[in-house]
Amino acid sequence: MLVTNIEILPDKRIVEHLGLVQGSSVRAKHVGRDIMAGLKNIFGGELKGYTELLQESRAEAMERMIEQAEAVGANAVLNVRFSTSSVAAGAAELFAYGTAVVLE
Amino acid sequence: MKYSNPQIPEGINTSEQHPLKEFFMLTTGVLVLIVAAVLLLGFFADKLAHHIPFEVELNIVSKELLDGPEPGPMQSYLEGLTERIVSAQGLSQEMPITVHYVDDDTVNAFATLGGHIYMFRGLLEKLPNENALAMVLAHEIAHVKHRHPIRSLGRGITIGLALSMVSGTLGDMMANQIVSNTGMVTSLTFSRDQERESDKTALETLMVLYGNVVGADQLFVVLQNAEGTMKVPEFFSTHPLSEKRIQHIHAFGRELSASTTTQQATPLPLDFADWLSLETTEKEHE
Amino acid sequence: MIDLIILVTLLALGYGFGSYAESRHYKSIIARENRLRHIPAVTSRFPQMNNNSRDAELVSGSVVISVDYFKRFIAALRNLVGGRVTSYESLVDRARREAILRMKAQAEQLNADIVFNVKLETSSIHKGRGNSIGSVEVLAYGTALKTQQ
Repeated sequence: MLVTNIEILPDKRIVEHLGLVQGSSVRAKHVGRDIMAGLKNIFGGELKGYTELLQESRAEAMERMIEQAEAVGANAVLNVRFSTSSVAAGAAELFAYGTAVVLE
Repeated sequence: MKYSNPQIPEGINTSEQHPLKEFFMLTTGVLVLIVAAVLLLGFFADKLAHHIPFEVELNIVSKELLDGPEPGPMQSYLEGLTERIVSAQGLSQEMPITVHYVDDDTVNAFATLGGHIYMFRGLLEKLPNENALAMVLAHEIAHVKHRHPIRSLGRGITIGLALSMVSGTLGDMMANQIVSNTGMVTSLTFSRDQERESDKTALETLMVLYGNVVGADQLFVVLQNAEGTMKVPEFFSTHPLSEKRIQHIHAFGRELSASTTTQQATPLPLDFADWLSLETTEKEHE
Repeated sequence: MIDLIILVTLLALGYGFGSYAESRHYKSIIARENRLRHIPAVTSRFPQMNNNSRDAELVSGSVVISVDYFKRFIAALRNLVGGRVTSYESLVDRARREAILRMKAQAEQLNADIVFNVKLETSSIHKGRGNSIGSVEVLAYGTALKTQQ
């Protein structure tokens, strides 16, 4: 599965567009991490727990998007975009979407 | 190039798990976690607070607060009894006990930081003999002996802080309330343990003082009557049920084959009732 | 005790009405998706097709959906232990598909047969008002094109 955020691949021809595929994931860290992040806020710096949370969420969102693409018989997802939102306090929502295509 | 729009199967972006199942698993999981965390934190805070020197306690409590009115006969009687109990319990010199007689209807007595013990008229009026009174005093002095006030304080602060940190990250008010209530109810087990410990020490003291545990159960009969018919389950209470405490006393008595018949009770001083009413009438004149 | 009764009532109401509304919404989403299947939506920016395309027009669709009390409660507890917040997954899934459907419905009215350069924006309206959570707003927009005569 080819996943990219460009839409024209130099040496490949798109045979078929299969429409939008999307993957989303809402995840939370346990309360200990939330408290540590709250404390870290005093000193500033990277909130490792939340970085990890976002990475996990993003990985899962990608996985789900790819799963959808596979389900419709695509072999690549082009023009992938990510968006984040905070639906719940302390939880990260990652959303990935792109166009499923069949490449030559 | 072709554009098509095939159907995407359901359930890729959502989880299959049944919400009710998740609800029950989460609720029980979270409750178990909170109970475990509170017990653990309480245990360590309790252990640490035990190491705070008694002098610190004495310094916390300001002196001005404690200077009561002129000591009456009741005050001096209580002080005398306290002295006897203190020596029977073998308290160290660094732990001075100060007893205060409070002219109030409340049926209560309590010990607080710095070895200060408050005895309310409401309770004293209801006690049938000196043994029962000694039981109250010995129980409160035992609290001081075991450093219960400072340990409760340390525990309360630690658990309260932890719970407020946790509930701060929760998004929902009701969930918040459940978490803090569970924590509070759990922390009451420490309080009940302390009461049992003090009861035990107080009974041992009575054995030293009188050679029997007569009258000890009468205190709890009084308390039981004061509670009335309203019965709070022990789980939600700071003290063990009076019923259970009476049972413990009887068991303790049987163990030492000490008599619990009231015949051998030491009576209260003859003027005891006068001292009680004396202070009340004085108050009325004011 | 009163608190507990209120809580259980709210949870039961949330669960009952919430799951009913959700299954009904999903049914309607699936039905409309099938009806609008002839309009693909793609994220590509450059339509690479025969050059007789015309009538480009911006189309958009947005929706705000709230989660029920039961699910919010689960999410609050989940926040303590960490992990996948499953109760919000269906919320955002429904919101996105609904927003895309509304965008496509607009495209259908214009007699367009494809939507290009689709972008999706998610925001939570409750954000910043204490810790209260529970509704998402999704905006989907793109360019509707009529490609064939």
